[in-house]
Amino acid sequence: MATFRLQVVSMDGLEYDGEVQQIKLRTIHGDLAILARHMNYVTAIGMGTAKVVLADGTERQAACIGGMLSMMDNHCRVIPTTWEWDEDIDVARAMDAKKRAEEKLAQSNLDKISRVKAEARLYRALVRINSAKHK
Amino acid sequence: MAAGNMKAVKLRIKSVQNTMQITKAMQLVAASKLRKAKEKADNSKPYFKIMRETLIDIAKGNTDFQSPYTKQVENDKWLYIVIAGDRGLAGGYNSNLFKFMESETKGRDYMVLPVGKKSVEYFQHRGVEIFTDDFAEVASISISECFGIAKLICNAYSKGKFGHVLLCYTEFVSMMTQTPRSTSLLPLADFEAEAEAEGEEKKPVRDLILYEPDSETVFNAIVPEYLAGLLYTAINVSVASELAARRTAMEAATDNAGEMIEKLSLYYNRARQASITQEITEIVAGAEGN
Repeated sequence: MATFRLQVVSMDGLEYDGEVQQIKLRTIHGDLAILARHMNYVTAIGMGTAKVVLADGTERQAACIGGMLSMMDNHCRVIPTTWEWDEDIDVARAMDAKKRAEEKLAQSNLDKISRVKAEARLYRALVRINSAKHK
Repeated sequence: MAAGNMKAVKLRIKSVQNTMQITKAMQLVAASKLRKAKEKADNSKPYFKIMRETLIDIAKGNTDFQSPYTKQVENDKWLYIVIAGDRGLAGGYNSNLFKFMESETKGRDYMVLPVGKKSVEYFQHRGVEIFTDDFAEVASISISECFGIAKLICNAYSKGKFGHVLLCYTEFVSMMTQTPRSTSLLPLADFEAEAEAEGEEKKPVRDLILYEPDSETVFNAIVPEYLAGLLYTAINVSVASELAARRTAMEAATDNAGEMIEKLSLYYNRARQASITQEITEIVAGAEGN
């Protein structure tokens, strides 16, 4: 299958740089898959599991939240706010965060700002848990 | 040689020794902090570089001027985000950056968003219009604060408070060299102008870019994001530069102090020897006289 160059870089450093067959991730507009020779394309990334099919056909997945994706002249750059390969995800910590966020949301006297914050925390924890293959 | 002079030399040696102790301690502290900061800066570098490349590419191919962030603006007011240090005694780190700023802003109507105590002090002293000085301490700025700054800038930008945003920081070239740099942040068209100034030729736009769902939504989502990201990474790089500059400066100061002590001790010993010789001569002369 045709491949294209993918660079994934977050504020924690360069996460991936190399030829891939495909990348699938969730944008603010819905799920998206990029294959080689895709037209020039820019979008913002939502929250979800990203799947990358490497040049040799192996698949890797990661928790991918926020940021942007650009495909320019067969060169794809993914610049997420956070990107964690599934083997790096600390599931116990995510479970813990999920529990705490749920407890917080169960309180009835929550003001709007802390509700939004707790919801965001819950979503992030859920994305991490779902992106980790080993549970 | 008078005894008073010898005492003065002895005091001087003591004071230089004290200074040396301080500079030595500062050097060690900077060196140990530097290791961590350098790691952070190294991790930040690819993000900064790739993000800028991407934005330049988008600016080049962009034919869509719906979003306020891509529109060419007539507003000729500039906002400079200036990242300097919290403390002095870092060699030319702060003053180089301010000198660089001065040459950059020549003839422009500008205001600043200072980051770092030295930066705040400098612009307050010079009476430059300050956008906000809430972010005085560069060492304690977190990612979420960067997002806060980005949001502030986006709001003020869409209200037309300024037409261009630029970031001034100090690039960490190596342990020995740090150079002040600037990069455009807004509007996107500035990236293209900057790339051209750096020697890339302008290509006619052939392939249009597809924005999904539409350009305005995409830019509204990614602009605050990349502002915060570039800001955070630039801060990391600047902090590493500051520590490296301080380490080098303090190393030089310690060496100088050592040299000074050596010279002064030599001078002191000579004076002591001379006074002893003189005393002996006097005694001998006195004994002969009897």
